[in-house]
Amino acid sequence: MELKIAVSGINAVDNPGPGIGVAKSLTEAEDFSAQIIGLAYDAMEPGIYMDWIIKKSFIMPYPSGGHDAFINRLIYIKDNYGLDFVMSVLDAELPVLIKYADELEKNGIKTFLPTYQQFKLRAKDRLEEIAQSIGIDIPKSAVVSSYDELIKAVEKIGLPVMVKGAFYKAYRAYTTQEAISYYNKIVAQWGYPIIVQQVVSGEEMNVVAVGDGEGNSLGMVGIKKMWITELGKIWTGVTIKNEKMLTAAQKFIEKYGWRGAFELECIVDTKEDRVYLIEINPRFPAWSYFSTGVGVNIAANIIRKAFDLPVKQYADYPAGKLYVRFTDDLVTDMDRFQKVITRGES
Amino acid sequence: MNRIKQLAINEEGFVFDPLTGDSFTVNQTGLFILQKLKEGKETEQIVKELTEEFEVSQEEAERDLIDFVEKLRSYRLL
Repeated sequence: MELKIAVSGINAVDNPGPGIGVAKSLTEAEDFSAQIIGLAYDAMEPGIYMDWIIKKSFIMPYPSGGHDAFINRLIYIKDNYGLDFVMSVLDAELPVLIKYADELEKNGIKTFLPTYQQFKLRAKDRLEEIAQSIGIDIPKSAVVSSYDELIKAVEKIGLPVMVKGAFYKAYRAYTTQEAISYYNKIVAQWGYPIIVQQVVSGEEMNVVAVGDGEGNSLGMVGIKKMWITELGKIWTGVTIKNEKMLTAAQKFIEKYGWRGAFELECIVDTKEDRVYLIEINPRFPAWSYFSTGVGVNIAANIIRKAFDLPVKQYADYPAGKLYVRFTDDLVTDMDRFQKVITRGES
Repeated sequence: MNRIKQLAINEEGFVFDPLTGDSFTVNQTGLFILQKLKEGKETEQIVKELTEEFEVSQEEAERDLIDFVEKLRSYRLL
């Protein structure tokens, strides 16, 4: 079966989007042939030029443009080039794609996404309830929108605290003064609200998994980040088997009937045998190719499920496999860039 | 909780803990003890085998074994 699959997040830069890893995974599937279409937001996104993975790319309008801009652009791609599936890997795209998934399906474009109700579970104010229901912990936290609330939260939680934006940025503050300074910094860049959180001891471990929407897992891999960049992005990692964390991911799929890929970010305190849920990302992480590399191609399983092909049962994976990211460079003609700039497609 | 059995240990003394993702290196003696613990052997038996394998007295073998086991406990491996 030949499929034209659009993948976003092809910005393979120092804070990489998940797209290239997902695209590589799809092209490695042996039971279908994936032709990857890149969805880019800027003509400089490296994926546009990585023609050994991405055959053709289109510049997309921002998803905040809503139906007329975003959905019509996908339908344009379908009509002019062919498009069977949209594999969205960016948070910002999800609301519009979820909302208009039926319309895309009617136009012959499939998706495999969480429902809007499921998507809202990622909100930080829902984490406590989710953590409890899947048998893990959550650091004490408070949502604040003023200095007064911030100071009260710091007093209640106790120093040091993490000061975090609702979606981006997190700093560790050792004094109230520092907490105020980080509060101001995040508000200036990302706005309100701010989350104040207890600092918990342990190591950062993550799970990438995919649910079939009926309570079953279509694949799952747990990892520990061994080395991260200044932006906190993984550069070296290792597969691990922390049963408590993997069981929590399994329960999350079962309990919420999660559909699509997701990542659980956890802090694991192995001394106290505690797993703290830090964040749920409703999409692939940027390191998802790690999972494919150890034999669990969850991106391919999403396609299999969406097109009624037999899904592969990935019951296990080896612990102790190493992931190493590296930088690379390429030289090409200006033509492709000019084409993307003038026509909006490569 | 005895996690020794889950450890991946290679011949050169590189030890990987699949639960935590931590890795350690141990010397020849440490490797010998880890392998015996992994096989489920008791302290007395390991001491005996240590004196047979290395040129050490029973007291010295006992002391080293207790030290090493305590270290494993501190890492929650035993």
